Amino acid sequence: MKGKKMAMYAAVAGIIAGGSAIAGGLYAHSTQPLFGSPQFFGMKWDQGFSGVGMLVGLGIIMLAGGFISFKWPSVGATIVCLGAIVGLIYTYDRGMYRWVPLVYYWWAPWLFAWIAGIFAGLSMSQRVQQLGAQKDGAAERR
Amino acid sequence: MTEMLRNEGLKRVRMRLITAVVFVFTLTCSGSFGMEDVVSSSGPGMTLLMILILPLVWSVPMAFVASELGSMVPEAGGLYRWIRRSMGEYWSFQAGWWWTLSLYVDSAVYVALALDYLQAKYAFDGTTRALIGVGIVAVFTFINIRGLELTGWSLTIIQVGVMVPLVIFTVWGIAKGQGNPFNPLMPEGESFLTSLNLGLAIMMWMYSGWESISTLAGEIHEPQKVIPKALMIGTPLVIITYFFTVFAAIRVANIGDPNGWTNMWTGGGGYDFVELSQTLGGGVLAYLMLMSAVLSNVGLYAGYLATGARPMFQMSRDRLLPRFFGVTHKSWGTPWPAILTMAVVNAVLINFNFDALITIDVFLLMFPYVLIYLAIIVLRVREPEAVRPFRVPLPTWLLGAWVAAPIAIAVIALFVNGVDWMIGGLIGILTGPIAYLIFKSIYKGVTDDELEGSTVTSDGALTAFGAEVEGASA
Repeated sequence: MKGKKMAMYAAVAGIIAGGSAIAGGLYAHSTQPLFGSPQFFGMKWDQGFSGVGMLVGLGIIMLAGGFISFKWPSVGATIVCLGAIVGLIYTYDRGMYRWVPLVYYWWAPWLFAWIAGIFAGLSMSQRVQQLGAQKDGAAERR
Repeated sequence: MTEMLRNEGLKRVRMRLITAVVFVFTLTCSGSFGMEDVVSSSGPGMTLLMILILPLVWSVPMAFVASELGSMVPEAGGLYRWIRRSMGEYWSFQAGWWWTLSLYVDSAVYVALALDYLQAKYAFDGTTRALIGVGIVAVFTFINIRGLELTGWSLTIIQVGVMVPLVIFTVWGIAKGQGNPFNPLMPEGESFLTSLNLGLAIMMWMYSGWESISTLAGEIHEPQKVIPKALMIGTPLVIITYFFTVFAAIRVANIGDPNGWTNMWTGGGGYDFVELSQTLGGGVLAYLMLMSAVLSNVGLYAGYLATGARPMFQMSRDRLLPRFFGVTHKSWGTPWPAILTMAVVNAVLINFNFDALITIDVFLLMFPYVLIYLAIIVLRVREPEAVRPFRVPLPTWLLGAWVAAPIAIAVIALFVNGVDWMIGGLIGILTGPIAYLIFKSIYKGVTDDELEGSTVTSDGALTAFGAEVEGASA
């Protein structure tokens, strides 16, 4: 029961993570239409991979991960966390230098992705029985 | 009984106290190389004050906490096992994962630094550098797999090589150097806070590593006695080493120029310990100091290769990582696949420019540190009567207040170096939940009771194994 509750929290956190990435992307676009023109590791990429494009695109994937977490928290939270990781890697889009203006937009998605991962992990630690726990019906010590 | 017991297969060695102290000294200090940068950025007086005061709120709490937890839970994997007992499987996996990830990068840095020193002196090409690097990794991988006895001996020899030139330099430098090293307190134009901030991150780095030796507890006879004693001896030893070597270095830097300390930095062009030795004693002392710097980094590598591999071994025994990592050498009783894996990653990393990866290091270490401090409070409250051969002589509420200081410093440390510095760490943190979700779904984990190697039952009572290692009656 407790594990199900944790899974729900993971899903909500994942949805907020994805939503905040999308909102951040749209806000950045409204204030600066060409925000984060692509220059990933010195290569010219399609405009879809701009700072805005990555925020919105990965935000949608993370949002989907959040919804999946309702049913499969481990799969959903993994998608949410991976989305944030890819987004953060993308902030290295000026060679080896971190592009700080884009990093600021990834703060909230990162934080909520981590929270989603924590709740999904706690849910899993309660739902997946450890070896030996089935034998005598004893739950893990903590 | 499960196929793989937690501590089964590990060979326990009778580690002498002096060897344990050498381990602690290596993991937390290994000379004062790197302090030069703190002097020029924070000012000479502030550096010396930080050397004396920071340990009280940063490293001494960790030394005491590691002693109590290490004596209470004397098992291989150290901090990973403490956190598992206090906060359960999820958080212990996170701490073990972050700590290990950090050390994978960290230990490679030490080999790279040793190579930098050698390359600056002998100007060899990239291929030679790579070969020497792989050679260093291979030698210490073998020594580590051979067992803690040989590792202990090699670290002792290395630390003699590190300290002899430093002691000569310190005595000579204090006698022949000039000026009051406490003056000025800070660089001109800097406020107290900015001056503190500039050197804090390096100083925290210099004063870290107290929890590391605990990961070897599964391979040391009576670890609950040896490790706390070594930490209690090692702590003042490290403070004294830092204080007097830096004191001497500032006096030497100020010979003929009262502002000579402003030129103290590492990485070429500044007054590092090697340059200062050249000024003080000429080519011979400079050469000895160069060897000391190289040995210092090699020693750090050897020490962290030993400790960094153990949590992974233990997580495998707890069925949270591939079984491969839980295998031990039949004759030597060491977790050779875990050591070898770490060494292979190190050998690859030292041949790349990994400035970006280095940023992961401190950031990832801070989270396990916070969990360790929380673990001691949780265990004090939850298991007040548990056997603790070493106990921090403070009531729980006062201990809580004391460890609040390093927790606050750890949190501040996450933000002192700017946003761009922490991206690697943010990415590293997110790999923790992902790894747990994947490995837990594959391997399931195992209860403590299921393993014969466990020291306590689910009721907190000693098992026969626990009685054996804690020297008490079951």
